[in-house]
Amino acid sequence: MSSLGFGLISAAVLAIATVGFTMQFAVTNVLNLAYGSIMINSAFVSYYVNQHGVTAWVALVGGVLTGAIASWLLNRFVYTPFQRRNLAPITVVIVSLGIDLMGTFGLQAIVGGGFVSFTQNQGSEYHFAGLLLSSLQLIIIGICAAVLVGVHGLLKYTRLGKAMRATSANRSLARNSGIKTNYIISTTWLISGALCGLAGTVFAMNAGVFEATSAQLYIVLLLAAMFLGGPGEPYGAMFGAITIGVATEVSAAYINPDYKDVIAFVVLIAMLMFRPFGIFGSEKTN
Amino acid sequence: MSVELSKKGQVLTATGLAAGYDGRAIVSDIDIEATPGKVISIVGPNGSGKSTLLKSLVGVVRVLDGTVKVGDTVITNTPSEEVAKIGVGYVPQIDDVFPPLSVKENLEIGGYLLARHEIRGRIDAVLEFFPKLKAMMSRKAGKLSGGERKMLAMGRVLMLSPSVLVLDEPTANLAPIVATQLLEEYIRGFADFGSTVLLVEQRAKAALRISDWTYVLGGGRVVLDGAPDDLAQNPIFIESFLGGGAATHAPKD
Repeated sequence: MSSLGFGLISAAVLAIATVGFTMQFAVTNVLNLAYGSIMINSAFVSYYVNQHGVTAWVALVGGVLTGAIASWLLNRFVYTPFQRRNLAPITVVIVSLGIDLMGTFGLQAIVGGGFVSFTQNQGSEYHFAGLLLSSLQLIIIGICAAVLVGVHGLLKYTRLGKAMRATSANRSLARNSGIKTNYIISTTWLISGALCGLAGTVFAMNAGVFEATSAQLYIVLLLAAMFLGGPGEPYGAMFGAITIGVATEVSAAYINPDYKDVIAFVVLIAMLMFRPFGIFGSEKTN
Repeated sequence: MSVELSKKGQVLTATGLAAGYDGRAIVSDIDIEATPGKVISIVGPNGSGKSTLLKSLVGVVRVLDGTVKVGDTVITNTPSEEVAKIGVGYVPQIDDVFPPLSVKENLEIGGYLLARHEIRGRIDAVLEFFPKLKAMMSRKAGKLSGGERKMLAMGRVLMLSPSVLVLDEPTANLAPIVATQLLEEYIRGFADFGSTVLLVEQRAKAALRISDWTYVLGGGRVVLDGAPDDLAQNPIFIESFLGGGAATHAPKD
């Protein structure tokens, strides 16, 4: 039963991360494998703000801003110049993998290899439908719910959100309709980057202790959750994240916990083989 | 037309136009003019550059040489989001709607440049013109039939009250009866109202029937142009497009 509780929290963190990741991929057409390294860099910025006597929940804003700005800069100065050269899309994916390694090990070079943790208490514990959850964990679930509702509202009801969906569905036609797609894409990097920074910080808080390489395998969970729900499908991402989050933690209770990421990998490969457009995606995209 | 959907037209001209991909011209030496109140069609075999020509007029494909003008405004290589603002509505042949968005959302995106309070009124006007869409406002565009989808695609560009309509094979893949209705009722209707209509049409006979002037493209150049009646008598045109004995089926007026 406690593994279900852990699963729920992991799922909440993963849901925040995946919604940002899939939004980024859908609108910008960049499969940004550096997402995990931006998460952990953002977490470290939050951590340093926290070490200067700021409450962790306020320090989190530092992580959100770091994620947004780093993602925007990455697009502006790395991905866009590569995309302009009309290279095969795989080129940008490989570049992003390089950025991920530089981001992670660059961070390690700066902060060293040791584990750190936020200065905050876990809060009181609550019994909740048979689960034992700390107030930290409840806040993470609350943040996750707020993000999901917020992203839903953005995409469904705002002019910006509709323009993002239109750009994702058919960029050329979006431009024909008068949408400045470059502006929409830059804005998407900011929003999805903010979600990345937020996810990184709550990931680190939830982990308790973390180091520069803690999020290195996280991209596997992100890809599995995204492909489970269907690439570019924000609601699919929510479903995929919850399934993967719970499945990896619950399976860790029964098999060797070292293998829990393998479960995500198995799901990823199975989805790519049998239903690459996901459970919610339609076969014919674009 | 009961509602003012499109604006009175402006003249769309291309002079000495060459356009293509990666610096290589697919079409060249193109001189065409589309005038208000007229349907101007472009016909030609597959691969003759019809779509590339249209795309170069609306900023989708790069113009390598020559000039494109709407009225007195030069729009050569103007980004397509600006071309929409100037009043040119372009409906591509495929990928003409946003499949995951609902019909209503597609129309809202069509009216993206309008003020928030104008959008609803324009949607009502478009629905009055295409009443069939009314019953499917919350349906995803990807789930529509071919004819419904094309109506939505046209409805999307009408949201901005364009003065020039540029339509790339609007009847492709439509059932013949739907295609005829689209051409003779709606598309002819825009021109009769005073808009400028430039259209690529695969089926030469249908094109001649609704056009005021037709350009024939071959190998990326204009090889022939003229009024429908004259083209219908032209031996080269008959042989290439209408098959033998077409002179007896001369299109109406």
